Amino acid sequence: MSILAFFFIVVSLLSFVAAQLILKRAMELSATLGFRNSRFIWLTAIGIALMTVSFFLTLGLLQRFDLSYLYPFQGLSVIFITLTAAIVLKEKLSFRLIVGTVLVSAGIVLVSMS
Amino acid sequence: MTTDTRNKPIRDCSSGFRNPWLQLGLSVVCVLVSEFLLKRGATDVAEPDSAFSWTGINGLASPLVWWAILLIIASFISWLYVLKYIPLTIAFPLSRVVDILVPLGCWIFLGESISPLRWCGIALVIIGLALVAKPIAQIEERL
Repeated sequence: MSILAFFFIVVSLLSFVAAQLILKRAMELSATLGFRNSRFIWLTAIGIALMTVSFFLTLGLLQRFDLSYLYPFQGLSVIFITLTAAIVLKEKLSFRLIVGTVLVSAGIVLVSMS
Repeated sequence: MTTDTRNKPIRDCSSGFRNPWLQLGLSVVCVLVSEFLLKRGATDVAEPDSAFSWTGINGLASPLVWWAILLIIASFISWLYVLKYIPLTIAFPLSRVVDILVPLGCWIFLGESISPLRWCGIALVIIGLALVAKPIAQIEERL
């Protein structure tokens, strides 16, 4: 794997993680401020833009690598999103949840390696 | 902080089609089908020598990619609804059930073999999902 490929994989992963956090915050806002609130609209637009970036980068990577090769990186997104949601969004993170998340990620990596 | 929906009780939302757990399931199914369509469509029209091939834009030449995009939009709408009611720390790990449904689907419908290592991976994901989902099951029981 070239440095360029690694760069695009990381950018795709980070933009996906950031998009999930931003969209979660947007939907939290919609519960109290409604869907016509400008802050909700902006957050949703940024979230969708980041998802779009991640989508096209993934599409470009799929043209070069097997799905099974790229899947371990998607497995990492489970850990990244769970940890950042706990830190940034202050969601509760129990020991059981941490163990479950690590097992899911490890399982995804094993599935793609075999 | 303007709101606190992190612990927004699931009882606040409607049952039936608007149930967030059903929407999570629908989102997973849409992602599952779109993964197959994207891989097939992107491979069909691959142009590795093109200057913009890293962006994946040339994948839009494939009709399968457009079908996949429609499914991704459907899953995205369901996912937004899920995010409104379920914490991200729980919803996202659960959504990755798709990662074991892909090889299981290949095994059941395409007759592909699954190696012992892959079975171990599937088992780990199932145990992990059970650990993540158990607190939710307890909450639902109390309601």
